[in-house]
Amino acid sequence: MAFAAIKKLFSGVRPIVALFVLLLASLALMSDATHSSTQFGRLYTALLIINALAILLLVGLIIKNLYLLMTGLRQQVPGSKLTARLVILFAVLSVTPVTVVYYFSLDFLQRGIDSWFDVRVESSLNDALELSQASLGARMRDLLRQTRQVSTELSSTPDDLVSLSLNAMRENLDASELTLFSQSGRIIASNSAESTKLVPVRLDETVQARVRQDSQYFGLIPLPDSGLSIRVAVSVPSADPMGESRILQALFGVSDRINTLANNVQQAFTQYRELVYLRKPLKVTFILTLSLVLLLTLLMAIWAAFFFARRLVQPISDLVVGTQAVAAGNYQTQLPMPGRDELGFLVRSFNTMTQKIAMVTDEATRSQRQLAEQHAYLEVVLAHLSSGVITLDVERRLHTSNAAASQILGVTLDAYEGFSLDKLTHEQPQTLLFIDMIYAHLDNHDTEWREEMTFFNTTGRQVLLCRGSLLPATAAGEFASGYIILFDDITNLVQAQRNAAWGEVARRLAHEIKNPLTPIQLSAERLRHKYLGKMNPADAELLDRSTHTIVQQVETLKEMVKAFSDYARMPILELKPTDLNSVIEQVLDLYRHETSNCRFEVMFDQDTPIIEADDGRLRQLLHNLIKNSLEAMGEQADAVLHISTKCMEKEACKFVEIRISDNGPGIPEDVIGQLFEPYITTKPKGSGLGLAIVKKIIEEHGGMIWAENNETGGARIVIRLPVNKQDQNALVPAMKPPGKSDAGHSDAAA
Amino acid sequence: MAFISHLYISKVNRVLALWLVLGLVPAAHANGFTIRSVSTHLQDKVYLLDANIDYQFSDSALEALRNGVPLIVLLDIKVEKQHTWWLNQTVAELQQGYLLLYHALTEKYIVNNLNSGAQDNYEQLSAAIHALGEVKDLPILDAHLATDGGNYIVRLRTRLDLESLPAPMRPLAYISSDWRLESNWYEWPLQR
Repeated sequence: MAFAAIKKLFSGVRPIVALFVLLLASLALMSDATHSSTQFGRLYTALLIINALAILLLVGLIIKNLYLLMTGLRQQVPGSKLTARLVILFAVLSVTPVTVVYYFSLDFLQRGIDSWFDVRVESSLNDALELSQASLGARMRDLLRQTRQVSTELSSTPDDLVSLSLNAMRENLDASELTLFSQSGRIIASNSAESTKLVPVRLDETVQARVRQDSQYFGLIPLPDSGLSIRVAVSVPSADPMGESRILQALFGVSDRINTLANNVQQAFTQYRELVYLRKPLKVTFILTLSLVLLLTLLMAIWAAFFFARRLVQPISDLVVGTQAVAAGNYQTQLPMPGRDELGFLVRSFNTMTQKIAMVTDEATRSQRQLAEQHAYLEVVLAHLSSGVITLDVERRLHTSNAAASQILGVTLDAYEGFSLDKLTHEQPQTLLFIDMIYAHLDNHDTEWREEMTFFNTTGRQVLLCRGSLLPATAAGEFASGYIILFDDITNLVQAQRNAAWGEVARRLAHEIKNPLTPIQLSAERLRHKYLGKMNPADAELLDRSTHTIVQQVETLKEMVKAFSDYARMPILELKPTDLNSVIEQVLDLYRHETSNCRFEVMFDQDTPIIEADDGRLRQLLHNLIKNSLEAMGEQADAVLHISTKCMEKEACKFVEIRISDNGPGIPEDVIGQLFEPYITTKPKGSGLGLAIVKKIIEEHGGMIWAENNETGGARIVIRLPVNKQDQNALVPAMKPPGKSDAGHSDAAA
Repeated sequence: MAFISHLYISKVNRVLALWLVLGLVPAAHANGFTIRSVSTHLQDKVYLLDANIDYQFSDSALEALRNGVPLIVLLDIKVEKQHTWWLNQTVAELQQGYLLLYHALTEKYIVNNLNSGAQDNYEQLSAAIHALGEVKDLPILDAHLATDGGNYIVRLRTRLDLESLPAPMRPLAYISSDWRLESNWYEWPLQR
């Protein structure tokens, strides 16, 4: 947290501005320091070092930025070219004017400093100095003369007595200090006007030498307390020829006014002299300061160029990266907002755009998924439709087909998807009639049509109910986007209708015919009984034969009517739990005793469950089938009747399958399809209603039946009965007979 | 080893070395401050220091002086107690400043002791410089500060104070050998 705050404090524009202001301030101080050495003089070196360090820092920063930029350029980082261009532009824009200003400033500086110095000023100051010295010179000579006069008094005074007379002599001379030195410079005695002054002004060796040489000396000396003083030194010869001469030094103060004036002259002269001497270093310093300012400004400008170029280019780089990301398919890209300027607007627009694209993409994905789901849903629906569905495109190519279509047509239509129907007719000639019928409607541009047609394919005669329609156009200017053809195999429906009609006919026939038959028979018997004995033998024989024929034929008719009525009768099933194996066993027992030439093979599934069935009807059914098989085998020597039961589970339906097969001649191929229809029989004496009744019983139980020929010869009847009551409805449409002899099709039951 | 390395000195290096010897070393000897002698003695329970220093000012410095630029010479003095196994401990440290100035009106060279304020005037520069080099009875340490019988040394160094030069001269003075005038540290056992 704290680190982030510090980082925030040291990034951005503020620290740069602060640094720049500080550096400028230090430069200003430095420039000031060159003018007045008192105020900032002591800071000068520190300032110089600070500025030099700042320049080094800036150079380091610029080198780092330059390195980063070069690396960026080499690696083709987005925005680096623009940054380079902006940096060059900024640098040129800042360097050019600054350089011009620098050049002229240098020139002004040189001339400006030179113009401070004037030969006349210098000579005037020299003159002033000389004047001061000269004006004091006269007084100094006067004082020298006075001192010399006084000094003669000391010639004969021994060292230890000198101090007594010095005070009087000093007052006499009006000197501020009077000191007697030995020849070697040792103080013998001293007297000062200021009683507090302990140490007299010493006599330096040069003065001693001058006094030794000229016996006198005079000159000015600056004193720390009293300012300018006149120093006069004279040799005091000893009265004793063998004695050593001594030196008397007298100090005289000058008047305050002269002191002040002389000081002023001295200061002005010294300052001017110093200034003249410092002319060259001053120039160097000014140039140095100016150069530092220039360098600092330039470096700051270049660094600022980097800084601002980066800030300026950052959103553009972000945009480039963002655009690439969007191009690569990442629509969630959101860029940081650079500010409220035009770039900010651009970035905001970009963000809005990516949001919208992401939304649209999501929408598209969702739609696609929905479409796929709907497609899958339709596929499932189509696959489970019992109606055949095919769609064609406008070029009459097969577009879609469902499983039912393939099954009805007996052709694997999936293999022809995308191909013209012509290819289908060419390779599967049995579909020719069907396709021709479709073509006829397409050629007529029928928008809606319906047609029933009959054609023959591998499974035999088929009745199809076809409906066609145009698919709505998807593009402008198109007549239609294709065609959809639905067709149902109504063979079994037609069959069922026919069966129903037969049933009705049979019922009516039974009803209408049965009633007159008994009177006819009774009448014939009465005729015979009444007139047979009364007639001559020839007539009697005729009557006997005729009545016999009538009675016989009436019996036959009665039997026929009974059969019809049995078929037509709509019995009420009495369902109760029935053990199928036991029922079959009981029925078979009857035949085992009656039949000698036939062998019965039984194979029961012991897991066969108890089913709900009408016991009596089942027995009738089994009798019919067994009798049929036995009759078919006739007097065959190796006759074998095989009966098996098996509990099976297929497509979630549990059922019991009963197979009754013989090794007789089998069922002729031409009747195998209509075996269970009324009046279809292979027997010379059959009514053709036995198997029709069998089928009826099975259908009433919700089961199904079909006939097929064994591979090894003989016929086989297969019966399937549902185990559960509720399956009696579900089982029938769900189950399909495996063989091609689909006589007991579920549709018929429906 | 030195012999071998000499043999392998390249031609460039030899030229460089020659230039150094001919050019810089004599120059360094010509100018500069040298401490000739130092001695201490105890008087009235105060250690006093006498020193004799040879001040060889460079021409640049002298020219500046003659043009009214005051020169300040600093005397750094340290009294340290010696430890055998440890760094020396500084007992006293003082700095003595002397100002050398040319007074144009009186044509005198002034030597001003910045610490005491005492001022002497000299007719000639050589006399002033000579006087500057004669340090007499400079009190450096109270005797009670060095009574534990340890070994004490006096370290002395003198140098020209560049910071006191006028600002315009300083940058050049710092980088010029003419202005880098200072003596080495001179060590002397504190005498009782």
